[in-house]
Amino acid sequence: MLVEFQQALADMVASPEFCRQVRVSPLVLRERYALSEREFERLIKMVNHKAMALNCMLYRANRLAPLAMNLHEFCTLLGTRLGPLLSEYAILYPNTNVHFYLECDRFCQFVRTKLREGYELEPEARAALEEEHAKIKMGLIASYTAV
Amino acid sequence: MHDKRPLVGLLNNPVVPSVIRYVPDLVEYVDVIPDRLWYDFEHGEATGGRFHRVTGAIEELSECAQGRVLGGHGIGLSLPSAIPMDMAMVQAAASLARQLNFQWYSEHLSMFLVSKGSVPNSQAGLGLPVSYDDETFEIIRGKLEILKNSFSCGLLLENGALFTPVPDTEMSEPDFLNRLYLETGCGTLLDLHNLYVGLRNGDLSPVQYLEQINPESVQEIHLAGGHELAGFYTDSHSGLTPAEVWEWAYHFGPRFRNLRAIVFEFHESYIEKLGLKGIAGELERIHALAEAVASATVQHAASV
Repeated sequence: MLVEFQQALADMVASPEFCRQVRVSPLVLRERYALSEREFERLIKMVNHKAMALNCMLYRANRLAPLAMNLHEFCTLLGTRLGPLLSEYAILYPNTNVHFYLECDRFCQFVRTKLREGYELEPEARAALEEEHAKIKMGLIASYTAV
Repeated sequence: MHDKRPLVGLLNNPVVPSVIRYVPDLVEYVDVIPDRLWYDFEHGEATGGRFHRVTGAIEELSECAQGRVLGGHGIGLSLPSAIPMDMAMVQAAASLARQLNFQWYSEHLSMFLVSKGSVPNSQAGLGLPVSYDDETFEIIRGKLEILKNSFSCGLLLENGALFTPVPDTEMSEPDFLNRLYLETGCGTLLDLHNLYVGLRNGDLSPVQYLEQINPESVQEIHLAGGHELAGFYTDSHSGLTPAEVWEWAYHFGPRFRNLRAIVFEFHESYIEKLGLKGIAGELERIHALAEAVASATVQHAASV
């Protein structure tokens, strides 16, 4: 079914780990999706295409873009910690919220929850999170404009 | 100026009003992304409606539109997706089209929506490839009918930047676009830089593609520049148009007798790199191209 083929392709692009899994065990596609033989063969060729890695990179870059734009200072201060944090966030929230302020607000809430659970951040990074989250909340309120 | 001369324009972004103020005479047309003119509370977080307009940007755009032509260039409808059309978004886009007087409306021949989610498209230029088969064709045909009934202007579909094309399809991409034109009247927005992306990444022969596309179908051309990422070339809208793309535009442009606009795309995050002068220079080059296309078209018509 085309709808399943498209879902499988989107799932692969969203997850390098799933791509690796499919390359090693192609039958996982049949287990998860209702695919015709042609669709199955196409996906196998695509997952082994050299540019599938680029698709995965661009997907991740697109997910990062709203955070990098609106939480620039906090992301900079996170440094190498941003990658693992983003991966965890993407697993918990596999779909982007197209409203950038809502997406950023959700990410801030996610980090705050982690902080409450014991995730450690230096005071400078905590302050950047507070300050930029406050700006996002203001932007969010301002986005309730006329319909 | 010949009346068939294509308009010269820019893809709208928050920096474009500054460009227009800098070189008002060089910008005749603006491609407007409606998805950037609303806040989409798609999950119902807002009361009073899903689409809340970015009023400041719309007002600024309306001012910029004085004496210029506007067209719509949507991202969110994802026509090739095998899921029902987002009718609320269609209505929101059609409403903006009426308000801003879009002369035509284009969407992408790429997939951004799937049944359980979406592929984010913020600035890195990722749309998923399409299966050029009868099944997809019928899905798009049906959705174009809906759009025809909602928009009172012509419709175009744009070739995407493909990194992993769907293999062994029933039709090539140009054949698919040609069939759309013949059977539905939907024109082609030919993104020459997206063909360059295909060339650089090794999966496409742009000249063969351009020989194959029905020249009557092409009504708008996009030019842009990109950059390399991890050994691949991307459609990042980060630079000036590459030399090969100019060559194709000059060589094939005169064939496109229905060409209405040539548009330069840049992303606002690269404004410091490009500079207002750099963008103005690109617009001047496009004006020269538009003149050459119009004059070659006139000579061709006279010789027939």
